[in-house]
Amino acid sequence: MPPWQRRSRPLPGAKGRRPTIRKWRQSPFRSYSHCCFPRVDAGMKPILLQGHERSITQIKYNREGDLLFTVAKDPIVNVWYSVNGERLGTYMGHTGAVWCVDADWDTKHVLTGSADNSCRLWDCETGKQLALLKTNSAVRTCGFDFGGNIIMFSTDKQMGYQCFVSFFDLRDPSQIDNNEPYMKIPCNDSKITSAVWGPLGECIIAGHEGGELNQYSAKSGEVLVNVKEHSRQINDIQLSRDMTMFVTASKDNTAKLFDSTTLEHQKTFRTERPVNSAALSPNYDHVVLGGGQEAMDVTTTSTRIGKFEARFFHLAFEEEFGRVKGHFGPINSVAFHPDGKSYSSGGEDGYVRIHYFDPQYFEFEFEA
Amino acid sequence: MQDAENVAAPEAAEQLAEPGQPQHPAAEPPRPGEEPSRPAGPGALEAAVGEDAEAGPEPDVPAEPAADGEEKATLGPGSSPPPPEEPPASAPSVGEASAEQARDESAEAGSEGAGGEDGGADEPSFSDPEDFVDDVSEEELLGDILKDRPQEADGIDSVIVVDNVPQVGPDRLEKLKNVIHKIFSKFGKITNDFYPEEDGKTKGYTFLEYASPAHALDAVKNADGYKLDKQHTFRVNLFTDFDKYMTISDEWDIPEKQPFKDLGNLRYWLEEAECRDQYSVIFESGDRTSIFWNDVKDPVSIEERARWTETYVRWSPKGTYLATFHQRGIALWGGEKFKQIQRFSHQGVQLIDFSPCERYLVTFSPLVDTQDDPQAIIIWDTLTGQKKRGFHCESSAHWPIFKWSHDGKFFARMTLDTLSIYETPSMGLLDKKSLKISGIKDFSWSPGGNIIAFWVPEDKDIPARVTLMQLPTRQEIRVRNLFNVVDCKLHWQKNGDYLCVKVDRTPKGTQGVVTNFEIFRMREKQVPVDVVEMKETIIAFAWEPNGSKFAVLHGEAPRISVSFYHVKSNGKIELIKMFDKQQANTIFWSPQGQFVVLAGLRSMNGALAFVDTSDCTVMNIAEHYMASDVEWDPTGRYVVTSVSWWSHKVDNAYWLWTFQGRLLQKNNKDRFCQLLWRPRPPTPLSQDQLKQIKKDLKKYSKIFEQKDRLSQSKASKELVERRRTMMEDFRKYRKMAQELYMEQKNERLELRGGVDTDELDSNVEDWEEETIEFFVTEEIIPLGNPE
Repeated sequence: MPPWQRRSRPLPGAKGRRPTIRKWRQSPFRSYSHCCFPRVDAGMKPILLQGHERSITQIKYNREGDLLFTVAKDPIVNVWYSVNGERLGTYMGHTGAVWCVDADWDTKHVLTGSADNSCRLWDCETGKQLALLKTNSAVRTCGFDFGGNIIMFSTDKQMGYQCFVSFFDLRDPSQIDNNEPYMKIPCNDSKITSAVWGPLGECIIAGHEGGELNQYSAKSGEVLVNVKEHSRQINDIQLSRDMTMFVTASKDNTAKLFDSTTLEHQKTFRTERPVNSAALSPNYDHVVLGGGQEAMDVTTTSTRIGKFEARFFHLAFEEEFGRVKGHFGPINSVAFHPDGKSYSSGGEDGYVRIHYFDPQYFEFEFEA
Repeated sequence: MQDAENVAAPEAAEQLAEPGQPQHPAAEPPRPGEEPSRPAGPGALEAAVGEDAEAGPEPDVPAEPAADGEEKATLGPGSSPPPPEEPPASAPSVGEASAEQARDESAEAGSEGAGGEDGGADEPSFSDPEDFVDDVSEEELLGDILKDRPQEADGIDSVIVVDNVPQVGPDRLEKLKNVIHKIFSKFGKITNDFYPEEDGKTKGYTFLEYASPAHALDAVKNADGYKLDKQHTFRVNLFTDFDKYMTISDEWDIPEKQPFKDLGNLRYWLEEAECRDQYSVIFESGDRTSIFWNDVKDPVSIEERARWTETYVRWSPKGTYLATFHQRGIALWGGEKFKQIQRFSHQGVQLIDFSPCERYLVTFSPLVDTQDDPQAIIIWDTLTGQKKRGFHCESSAHWPIFKWSHDGKFFARMTLDTLSIYETPSMGLLDKKSLKISGIKDFSWSPGGNIIAFWVPEDKDIPARVTLMQLPTRQEIRVRNLFNVVDCKLHWQKNGDYLCVKVDRTPKGTQGVVTNFEIFRMREKQVPVDVVEMKETIIAFAWEPNGSKFAVLHGEAPRISVSFYHVKSNGKIELIKMFDKQQANTIFWSPQGQFVVLAGLRSMNGALAFVDTSDCTVMNIAEHYMASDVEWDPTGRYVVTSVSWWSHKVDNAYWLWTFQGRLLQKNNKDRFCQLLWRPRPPTPLSQDQLKQIKKDLKKYSKIFEQKDRLSQSKASKELVERRRTMMEDFRKYRKMAQELYMEQKNERLELRGGVDTDELDSNVEDWEEETIEFFVTEEIIPLGNPE
C-alpha cells in the first residue's frame, strides 16, 4: 500500500459505481513534462473533481502547477494531478473542516489548517504527518514563506480566544516540538479572515473581517501598513506570480488590486454578489472572480439569481469580458494554473472544476 | 430618576446586605421627612457645602438637614411601609431650596460621570469638582416639565354668557338658578354665576363661570340653541367672543400685496435641446434620491441628495413639482436646481394626490384628526401654500378618496349612499348638497369631460345600474341597467372617448362568473353601448391611450392569453389578434398608444413581451428576472423595468429598454426602491401640426440618425481613449513593480537555495524527466452492497 492514505470507498457523487483502487508504478510526480502525461482532451469540457463531501473551502496549485490541493468542510485533504484530474491521494488526520492549505515552493511540504483546532504539516510525497500544532481555536489561514522555512497561520476569534497569527521556523525543531511559535501577533479588533506571505517572506498581508488590510512584519510583528479599501470582510487574498501585487476578494461585492509592498490600491472589480475568491492570471492582464449569493440566502432563490459564475475581468480596464457557468452554489475558491492555460474553481456545491481555456480566450483583446 | 443616581453609599451597602429589600429606590414613592435630603446623599452634601462656601452666608443650615437625612436614609428602607405619595415641594424643610439645588447639581455631575472620591470602590461619587460652574439653565434641564408648569389665568376664558333666559322676579330667581345650574353643570363645575337685575327682574341673560376654559367651550358647543321652552331658546357664547367680535374694524383693509417670488422657469426641462426626459430614482433603501436625465448611453445625474424624502416621492401630473414626504408634511421642489418651492405642514402625512391641473394638493394623514377640526385629509393650494379645506376620513383604503375632474374644477368623494361633489376654488359642495345615491359602489370621472360614471348594485327587484352624469347640471346622460351583477369596474379611455364597464355576472341557471365588457361610446349621440362577452377569467384590462384599441389578459395560469380588440368607428368591436401561452399579469400601454408591454411581474419572474399592435407582432420577448415595476417614459420612447427593494431584496436594479424591447442599460443601484419618470404637460401642438410632423417624419429621421451616428462614434472614441490612458497608467505601475522585482532577484535566489524559480521553466535543467503511466493495474474489489 502506498504510504499516503487512499480511500477504498466510492467517491461522493459516484454512487453505485464499483469502487476501484488505482495503483501507480512510481510516484515522482514532482518532475514532469507535459508530453508524458496521457493526453487529456483539451476540449473545453471542464474536469470535475469529486473528492469532497462538503463545500470546498480552498484550492491551490503548487508552484509548478502539476498538483492541485483541495480542502473542504470535511476532514479530507485531497491532492490531484491538475492535468487530468486524477486523484493522487489524500492526507488523512484532520477531524474537522479544513479551512486552508498551502504547499511550499519545492512541493516538499504541505500545510493545512482546520477547525479541529490544529495546523498540520505533511510530507507532500509520502503523505506522512510531520507535525501537529494544536491551537485554541480554528485555524483560518496558513502559509509557507518564500523560502519554505517559516510557516504562518492565523486562528479565529472564538470560544473566548483571541485571533492570533503564529510563526514557526521549521529549521528549529524545538519550536514545533514544544508548540512554541517564535512569534505570536495578537489581533484585537477584527479577526483575520485571509492572509498570505508578502514577497520575500518579510511580512504577511492579512485581510480582516471588517475589510481592513494589514501588513505585519514577520520579524517584529508590528503593523507596517494599514489600509481600508473594503467595507466588508475580505474573503481571499492571492498574489500575482511575481508577488508584486495581489488581489483581494471581499463580501462587499468587489475585488481589488493592491501593490504588495505599499498596499496601494490600484484597481477595483465590481460585481453584484459577494466575492469569495479572486485570482490573477500569471501571463495575461486578467483576473478571475468567484463568488455568488451567500449559501444561507440561496435556498430561497433559484440558481439563476445566485449568479454562481466565475467572472473574468481585465486588470487594467476593470471591465468584465467573460463568464464561466457551472457551479450550482457559490464559488468559494478560484486558482489560476501557473501556466495560465487553465483555472480551477471550488464551490459550495462540493465540486472542484478544472477549466481549460479555449483558443478564443487567448486571442481576445480589448479595443484600445 | 435622579434619586437612583444619588443613593448614598451607606444606603446602597445596606441594601446589598439585605437582599430582601427593594433594590430600586427610584421606583419607590418618596418618603416624607427624608425627602429633601434623600436625593442629596454624601455627594450632594459636598456639593451643597461647596455651593455654600461659594455663596458665603448660612454655612450650616443646608448641610445639617442633609446629614440628618442621610442618617435617616440609612435607616429608612424597609423600616417603614411606603406612605402615600406626597409632592416633594410640600415637604417643609429649612434647607429645601439648597437641597433642591444640590440635587440638580449632583444629577448634573452624575450625568457627566464624575469620578468619585468618597463613593467607595463600587459606588462612584456624583459630586462636582470644586471648580464646577453651573451653567445649565433650568430651561435646558427640565424644559419639558417646565412647559407643563401651571400658568396663571384670569379665568375670563371660563366665562360664558347665556342669552334668552326667562326674566323673573326675585321670588322665582332661586328656581331659575336651580334650572340653569342643572343644565349647565353638565359641562363642568360652575364656580360662579351672576344674574344682572333691573327693576327687580332679571335682565334675561346670565354669566356663568366654569372651573376651566375647556368646560366653557364645551358648554358653548352643546348648550347653544338649547330649548328651555317655547319662548326661550338659549344662545350661549364665550364671554371673550364678545370682546373679539366687538373690536373688528368696520372698514375693510385691502390685503397687502405679496411680493412676487421669482422661482425661475419651472418648466425648463422641456427646453432641453435633446428632448431628453428626466426621472427620479430612490435607492439605498430610501436614503438617497437622485434625478437623472435619461440618455441612451448612461443616465446623466442632475441632482442627488441624501434623505431628500422619508418614504417616497411623487411628481405632479404635469411634471412641474417633485413632492417629497416627511414626518411633518410635504415639500414641493422644482426649477433648475430643485429648490424648495412650497411646504405643506401635515403631521404624519402618508398619501397625496394632485389635482390634474396641479393647482391643488390633497394630503392624507392618519395621525391628526379632531372632532371639530377635520385634518385627516387636507386640500392645499400649491401656488400659495394655503390650506383650503380639511376633511374627516375613516379609512384610506381606497386612495385617492377625492377624485378630481379632468380640469380640476370639481372633486368628488363617495360615502355611504352619497356622492359629494365639491367645486373649486370655493371647496364647497356643488349646489350646497350631495347626491343621494343609495348603494353607490364606485364612481369615476371621465378624463375627457365633466362626466361622472357610477354604478349601483342590484337591490331586490331593481336591477344594477351604471349611470353617466353630466356636471354641474347633474343631468343623467345615460343609464344602463344590468342583471345578476356581482361586480363592476369602470375603465375610462385616456381621452374619455370610451368607457368600458367590466361586468362580472352570474347569469341565472349557470354556475360561475361570466364577464362582459360594456363599451360606452362617449362621443356619439345617446352614448351607444356594445357588449363583448368573455368566456374566461379576466386578469387585466387596459385601453390604448389615444386610441380605440384595448388589450385583455384572460385565462388561468399557466394558460394565459392576451387579446387585442378594436372599437371601429361604426361601433363594431373586433378581435384583432389573440396570443396564447403568455407569461403576463399586467398590461402597460405606451403613453402614445400602439406599443404595449405585457409583463409577468413578481410571481411570474419578470417575463416581458413587447408588442406592436398596429400589425400585432411580438417585437421581442425578454426577461428582467423578478421585475416588480414597468414604467414607460412620457413620450413612449423608452421603458424601464425594475426590481424594487420594496418587493425583492436582491438584484435591485432598473433596466432601460427601447419601445421595441432592445435592452439599452442595466443600472444596478444599491437597494434601489423606485423610479418615476417626470411627466410632461400635454403638447400645445394642434392635431394638424401633429399630422404634419408625422408626414415629414422621414425628413426628421435623417437628422436624428446623423446625430446618433456622431454621438456613437464619439462614445466609442471616448471609451478607447479612456482605456488607453488606463492601460498606460497600469503599464507604468507594472514597470515600477517589475523593476523592484528584478532588484530582488538575488535575495530570491538566496532564499530558495540558488534555484531560479522566477519563470515556470527557469530551472528546467534541474528537471528530471520521467514517464509516469496511469492505470497500470486495476483491481476491482467488491465491497459488499454498494449503498
